[in-house]
Amino acid sequence: MKTALLILELQATPDEVMRGVEGLQEFCRAQAVAEKTIHALMLSLEEIASNVVNHACRRDPLQSFRVSIQHAGDRILVEVRDHGPAFNPLLFVDPASEAEDEDRAEGGWGIPLVRHSMDELHYVREGADNVLTMSKHLQPAGGR
Amino acid sequence: MLSKEPIPTQHLTAMSLEIQFKRTPFTVTAQLAGSLDTATAPELLRQLTPILDSQVTDLAFDLAKLTFISSAGLRVFAIARKRLKERSGQTSFVNMQPQIMEVFEIVKALPGVSVFASIEEMDTYLAAQQRKHTAGGSQEFSGPTFQIDP
Repeated sequence: MKTALLILELQATPDEVMRGVEGLQEFCRAQAVAEKTIHALMLSLEEIASNVVNHACRRDPLQSFRVSIQHAGDRILVEVRDHGPAFNPLLFVDPASEAEDEDRAEGGWGIPLVRHSMDELHYVREGADNVLTMSKHLQPAGGR
Repeated sequence: MLSKEPIPTQHLTAMSLEIQFKRTPFTVTAQLAGSLDTATAPELLRQLTPILDSQVTDLAFDLAKLTFISSAGLRVFAIARKRLKERSGQTSFVNMQPQIMEVFEIVKALPGVSVFASIEEMDTYLAAQQRKHTAGGSQEFSGPTFQIDP
């Protein structure tokens, strides 16, 4: 089974989130993953890591989080790990997502985008760490 | 799940966004190139603020060179749409790339916004709208390529 791994240690800032997203893009292209799948992975990592930075790490650049990206057989696994207080991004409700019609269109889209883009999502509190794992199945060559 | 140590990634940089504004008789167009994300969305909002605070009623986003958008970018568009709607203005999108369109469609963001296939189509539509307002008459034009349904 083909296996490749990339691990990124990132500071809790928006710029670092996007550095991680670029790292994921570079890794997946080297693994010949289809562009549409890469886009779905980039979008999901951006949303999850942004939530970690903004809510678990409260944009404290002295804090850090780790992104691990693994190509394992027919899927890409992405793990986001931080040392902040217990925080499950999958359960986070953006206040904007609960607003009425007009104001609803100001946010709360992050997690729905992730749920749509990924095949599997899993959160666990592991000791002092929040660990969010996402996986995306790869289509045979010529697929998505 | 994974146990190896981190590898050097100093060569990686955050993706960037280029913003250019173009004024026409009927609209202000923001041309975006690159990535509209958690790192770049605040800068777009900062540059849009004077326009949103002005009397501009037609604001268009040309997304021909926009390669990536996340919910942070959608939020800026939503703020712009809301501000213009408060003064009966309109927010439009043109040259939307497939991967950007897909993000809009997944979350059904920005109900009622107009999406045009080209600058020419948008200009024709806005000119017709402008004539309609000034003459008080009706104009024959089929309207935008489509509107994202509420």
